[in-house]
Amino acid sequence: MTVATTTGSQSGSALERSGSGGGGLADVVETVLDKGVVIDAQVSVAVVGIQLLEINARIVIASVETYLRFAETVDRLSITPKGTKGLPDMVGDAAGAATKGKAVSGLSKAAQEISGAVVDSLGDRDADRERPRRRRDEER
Amino acid sequence: MTDERKQPAGETGLFLYGIMPSDVEPTPDAEGVGSPPGEVTAIRQGDLAVLVSEVGLEEPIGRPADLTAYQRLLDATAAVAPVLPVRFGTVVTGEDAVDDLLDAHHDRFAAALAELEDRVQYTVHGRFAEAEFISGLLAQNPPAAALADQVRGRSEVECREERIRLGEMIAQAVELRREAENRDLVDAVGRYAVANAARPPSHELDAVNVAFLVTTDDEDEFIQAVEDFAERRRDLVRMRLLGPLAPYDFVSAHQLVD
Repeated sequence: MTVATTTGSQSGSALERSGSGGGGLADVVETVLDKGVVIDAQVSVAVVGIQLLEINARIVIASVETYLRFAETVDRLSITPKGTKGLPDMVGDAAGAATKGKAVSGLSKAAQEISGAVVDSLGDRDADRERPRRRRDEER
Repeated sequence: MTDERKQPAGETGLFLYGIMPSDVEPTPDAEGVGSPPGEVTAIRQGDLAVLVSEVGLEEPIGRPADLTAYQRLLDATAAVAPVLPVRFGTVVTGEDAVDDLLDAHHDRFAAALAELEDRVQYTVHGRFAEAEFISGLLAQNPPAAALADQVRGRSEVECREERIRLGEMIAQAVELRREAENRDLVDAVGRYAVANAARPPSHELDAVNVAFLVTTDDEDEFIQAVEDFAERRRDLVRMRLLGPLAPYDFVSAHQLVD
């Protein structure tokens, strides 16, 4: 998913640029969760919904599902010239299609499902609206 | 969240976004978390201020829009002044609690803000192009290529064990290459940053994931160095540069947990 706040890069650049929140919900979650100053527990109060969010952000790394998916990618690579590859290849592809998308970690899946709503809510915002300003004239 | 911690209806708290110098003020239309979005204000004490907005204690905070509002506000603040992000989800009972917080830790906050003056975070995040990475690996690794020949064209039922072994070899190769890429990235662009912080991979195909703290005077050179790094890996890694951001990865030294 790409959002309109991508800035600056010339066309053809190998580097994709994203401004604040421009990379989608997965980027936002990854950028801000579990970061920042943690304040003394005794002055903070409980709020609904935070713990759930932190659990959802746990990332699944390597697993048997990952390994099998890598192997499916090997099926799709047509780099070995040996043998005829008609029917067996098609069988392999069909097997791949059946399991594809199953092994997504909880976070990415959730992010895909709800990201549409985020984009919508961002789309009609003026990019500068939330920008605080600094009173240079009164400084120090 | 357990029921006994729910607050009575109608009670509100203050959601904390970040700590900043007191000469910064949110614009009137700055939007905070909550639905409808809370109005963002600054609570000041001496030379420090905290960005806050009121939230209902029974309202679930942590929806995608809340996270996005939090990040946008902090990133926009970081663009004009140093800011110490407060961990997402921190809510206190009221202004008194904010005053206590600033009283208790004034010197640490002030010192941290002085360090962050004119500095912003950039995060470099790259992901291997799966087919290209695996093709390259099979071309250079005969045992993996032999295993690939065994599984190709056979169903998972027929050769599940071989598939798992092949996939594991690929995953290990990704991990090794990732360590090398992260080192190379820091070698190539680290000189344009005052600090860097490795971030854990967020995807099994992650190639690099490092946060950099960059002085605003060095931003152009830093970005150019990242572009050059990306260009050298054009076909292998989808490289992204996130930022400028608030210094989320550079405040760990200021944690105040007892």
